[in-house]
This record gives sequence, structure tokens and C-alpha cells, in this order.
Amino acid sequence: MHIPDGFLSPQTWIPAYGLAAGAWFWAARDLRQRLDESTVPRLAMLTALAYGLGLIMVPLPGGSSGHALGVALLTLLFGLRPAFLAYSGVLLLQALLFGAGGVTALAVNALAMGLAGGAVALLLFRLLRPFQESLAVLLAAWGSVMAGALLLALVLGAQPLIASRADGSPLFFPFAWSVTLPAMLIPHALIGLGEAALTLLVWRYARRRGWVQTAAGSPVTP
Amino acid sequence: MSRPAPAARERQLLAAYGAALVALSFLHHPGLLALLLALVLLAARGDAGPLLRRSLGATLVFNLSVSLGYLLLQAWQGKLGTGTGHYLLTMNLRVLLMVFLGFWLLTRVNLLQALAPWPTATLILTLALGQIETYRRLLSDFRLAFCSRHPAPPRLGARLRHGASQAGTLLDKSLAASTEASQALRSRGAFDA
Repeated sequence: MHIPDGFLSPQTWIPAYGLAAGAWFWAARDLRQRLDESTVPRLAMLTALAYGLGLIMVPLPGGSSGHALGVALLTLLFGLRPAFLAYSGVLLLQALLFGAGGVTALAVNALAMGLAGGAVALLLFRLLRPFQESLAVLLAAWGSVMAGALLLALVLGAQPLIASRADGSPLFFPFAWSVTLPAMLIPHALIGLGEAALTLLVWRYARRRGWVQTAAGSPVTP
Repeated sequence: MSRPAPAARERQLLAAYGAALVALSFLHHPGLLALLLALVLLAARGDAGPLLRRSLGATLVFNLSVSLGYLLLQAWQGKLGTGTGHYLLTMNLRVLLMVFLGFWLLTRVNLLQALAPWPTATLILTLALGQIETYRRLLSDFRLAFCSRHPAPPRLGARLRHGASQAGTLLDKSLAASTEASQALRSRGAFDA
């Protein structure tokens, strides 16, 4: 669901960088103390997995793309802050190495998919885990995809309102919410099912190896 | 005048790239964008052809879907005119130029060196890049081995079994490789407070 370069107005992406800079600072604060030689390899491995998943994408008519994220997985295993930072790195690599997403859209993509997607995953997981863990993982992953898609659809659809010529023709992304919302949400509702199944598989792999952090089995706190 | 140190040069190029992206976001004239693209292609010299092909490959599908969608919407609303062409040219040239600059930057800048002032970002990116390479090599090995075992096209069941065993091995090998890398980092004091 990356937004590529050139589709966002500077009125959108420059303030988004300001917001993301604060979030990156918050995420990086005392991170070195929270990571050690046992968690770093896992984070690196799953970050690389998220990178690979994000590159298998299909273009959507609304001007974005559909793909799995891996954000829920990173968040449930490592907490929101490391996951947000790691996913921002994934987005940077994808933008620079493959032109997937973009550097100007990096902050918006990271905030929507990495931060909001991760936060929704963590919230749903904590709410639902007391009832059924597998269901909690599935819904957390699906919810993270939908949250990211919703935010990006809102940002894209706002572009004609934010930046257009005097005659009303667009300067950046041309479609309004009436196009972006269904174009993003309907395919991602299906993509989210695949993401949920994949997240559950890797979650079980992680559980078998004892990576789930606390005695109660709750993930690392954000 | 002396040449800047390598790390300083990396950061200067990164800053110039950032400034170029900001400037391009404020340009809305297709002629000017086309002129800038031509200048950048000339400046890239021998790299221009491969980088342009790579940029076109990266942007074609998405830009085509937006361009065609916009064209159809304008036609349906009876608003087709010079404004439509102007917008499509501007948008496509700007996207192409931005993506080209990003790829060009990577041929000139060592990303890890440029990110050196942010050690946590460098640490995670170094390890993730190592794992990406591990995944790439393993996938290639698995694909070649699978092809050599199946002279005729394999059935769906065989493909699924292959995919499942490949996924498990990928995760295990990647974990082993990154454990090795993080132990090397530990021995060099990377986790010391």
C-alpha cells in the first residue's frame, strides 16, 4: 500500500516528516538498552521478512499498491517502538533499492503502516488475547493492514483538496476519497486475510522457539 | 580546494538529494520538468540508460494505472482537454525524475556510511541488509534445486510442500546468520551502553 514519490503535496509530506521525526526519536530512545544479542537477530530476520513481503505487490487502481506488511508480526514480537523503527528502515530500503514507495512519502507511509498499523495490532492483540490467542493474532494482523490502508486512503484522497490549480485541476494525486477509500479498503480486506494467516504461522514458529517475551506471554511493552 | 572526506561527501549528496526532492515538489510545469530530466540524464552519462530503464520499470505500472484512471474519469465527466494532458505530463515527469534521482543517488552514496550519525538505524539496517542477502541467495539455491528435481512441470502439491519447507529453512538459516552477525557486533562492543 506504499504511496510512491510525486503523489503527495509538500503541504502533506513536509509536516509528516516533522511528525515522523518526533516518532522516530521516541522509538529510538533507549532502544539500544532494549535490544541485545538474542533479540537483534530475530528483529533483523523478521525485518528482512517484512521487506520481502512488501515487495510482492499488486498495483491498485486508486494509485497505490496492495501487499502484505509484516508490521503486526514485528509489533507483537518486539513491541511498537522497535517495530516502527524497523519497518521505517524497510520502507527506506524498498524506496531506494526498488523505487517501491518513495522518499518523499516515506514519513506518511511509515506513520500509517508502521506506527498506526502497529498500534492497532497491539491494541487488538491485547484486547483479544485473554479470549483466544490465535484469533487475537489473526485479528491484530488484519486490523493492522486495514488501519494502514484507511489512513493512506484518507491522505491520498485529501490531495485534490490540499493542492490544486485555480481551475480545480489537481497538482498531485488526482482522486478524491470517493475513489481512494474503496480502492484501498476493499482489496486490503482480502490482502489482510493472507497477512493474518502468515502472521499466525510465523507467530507459532516464534512461540515454538520461546521468543514470546514474558511469563504471561504478553509482548514487549511499547 | 581539498576534496571533502568520504563520510562528509555522502551526507552532502544526501542533503542535495533532499533539497532536490523539495524543489521538485514545487514545480508544476511539464516543460521545466522535462528540461531537468534531460539535464539529469546528461549528468548521469553512462549510468543514464540503465538507471532510466530501472526507473521506468519501477514507476510504469503505478503511473499507468493512475494516468489511465484519471483519463477515463475526465472522459466520463466530459472534461478532457489540454489541462488533462498538462496534468498527466507533469505528474509522470515529476515521478520519473524523483525515482531516477533516488536510483542515481544510490550509485554515488554508500547508504550505511551516510546513516553513520544514527548508530541505531545503521545497526538495524546493516543486519537487515545481511538477512535480505541471505534470503536472496537461499531462494535462488532452492529454486535451482527444485527445477533440477522436476524435469517436467511440478504439481501443485509438490509446489506447496516445497514452499513450506523453503519458508521454514529460510527463517532458520536467516536466524543463524543474523545470530552470527550480532555476536560479531557484540564482540566489537556494539551492545555496550
